[in-house]
Amino acid sequence: MKFSYLQRERPITDVPRNIRYLLVIALLLQLFWHSQQPPVTARAEDLPVPLSARAYVLASLGEPVTAAKLLNLWLQAFDNQPGTSLSFNQLDYHRLTLWLDTILELDPRGSYPMLVAARVYGSVKNPEKQRVMMEYIYTRFKQNPGRYWRWLAHAVITAKHEIRDNALALKYADALAENATGKQVPYWARDMKIIVLEDMGQIEAAKVLVGALLASGEIQDPYELKFLTDKIAALEEKSSKKRQTVEK
Amino acid sequence: MIPQILTIARFTLIESLRNRLLLLCFLLAAISFVMIEFIGELTITEHRVTQIAILAAFLRISAVVLVTLFVVSSMVRELHDKTLEMVLAMPIHRGSYYLGKLAGFLGIALVVCLVFSGVLLLYAEAGALLVWSVSLFLELILVVALSLVMLLSFSQVPAALTAVFVFYGAARLISSLFLMSKAPIMAYTGPGQAFMDRFIALLAWLLPDLQRFTRTEWLSYNTASWDALLPVAGQTVVYLSLLSFIALFDFYRKNF
Repeated sequence: MKFSYLQRERPITDVPRNIRYLLVIALLLQLFWHSQQPPVTARAEDLPVPLSARAYVLASLGEPVTAAKLLNLWLQAFDNQPGTSLSFNQLDYHRLTLWLDTILELDPRGSYPMLVAARVYGSVKNPEKQRVMMEYIYTRFKQNPGRYWRWLAHAVITAKHEIRDNALALKYADALAENATGKQVPYWARDMKIIVLEDMGQIEAAKVLVGALLASGEIQDPYELKFLTDKIAALEEKSSKKRQTVEK
Repeated sequence: MIPQILTIARFTLIESLRNRLLLLCFLLAAISFVMIEFIGELTITEHRVTQIAILAAFLRISAVVLVTLFVVSSMVRELHDKTLEMVLAMPIHRGSYYLGKLAGFLGIALVVCLVFSGVLLLYAEAGALLVWSVSLFLELILVVALSLVMLLSFSQVPAALTAVFVFYGAARLISSLFLMSKAPIMAYTGPGQAFMDRFIALLAWLLPDLQRFTRTEWLSYNTASWDALLPVAGQTVVYLSLLSFIALFDFYRKNF
């Protein structure tokens, strides 16, 4: 193989000796300089307060939808900072809701913030933080019940089986029954109040909800479908383990 | 006059091919494809919408940067190599030269637009993409004309590029800036604020409203309609005329 561009160059010996030595010295100097610097340590940063939506529109050269999608990914990955990892428990949830608000303001058609509120940040093992997320979903639902009913349905399950607050679950189920009256809202969502009152087991209830969401055919996104299918599989596994433990 | 314009346009297109512009276009398209597939893997939901939103914005800005760099560098080479002087020594009107270069650069803008739209075709719905692509081409027409104006005014690459990007950024943001000046978070009635408000209002009158062009949500949420292109096309015709006359005004006054 011929490297014609190399052959066009003059030989290294044509470079003055001083230049060659000084090049090596400069390289060594850089290595020495780097060795004298304090080591880089990973430091977890707190979630900052978001700027106004207008500021993100300006920063994205007038592309609010793109800004919203990039902020979604940034926020989703905030727990993975360079060299360290935060648990969602360490995040300031009130501040987190400000971010979700900003993203929804930038892209009102998007549903990403509601999904992460319900299934990512709302799944931490900390009832206080879960309450913040569920109340966020409830507030958003009241603003647009036809659009946000399925996340409130998730909030009912979370309130009942994870936060273990029946009154809270009933409040959300009530809101669903009263406000989610659109034709697109399925029967099972409007009747979640009955499910809450029947006091189902946690795994079974979650399976019902996820299964119903899948069966509704409303979810088209292949990644969300995969997420839910995986969730069903995980729940099945948990369920069978639980049964085996009981049989023993 | 027409044959002269066509000849100049043809040689401008040939120059772009020799500069491997097409190769660069395909390279950018490939990079954007890899990047967007990676981003797709990060999403939990709204997989396709997220990919389209980020890809469309990336390709839009890439197209603008690529076309600007090519127009400015090509014109600077013409100036420095004295090709322009040689052409003008022939019986060719300066107007014909300008129109020939403009037509050639618009051909290049069309090629860039087609290549980038081809990448988006993998993700977006074809009807919406067609509207978006037409709008991108109209936007690139203004970018080409703007680059010619700035280069003929400044004759230097750094100054011309800075001027084009500042102008383009301002044109993309002017609607948002105007709204922000109308409804500030903290009301302040000093003379400085009044001056800034009037200055932004003046800019809004003078700059093309590029926020209406090539909107990402047309692709993300399939909201594109041919009606949306009417104001975009109108603005392009009006502003292309303005930029062309500014360029010609400057070009006819120049001594080489």
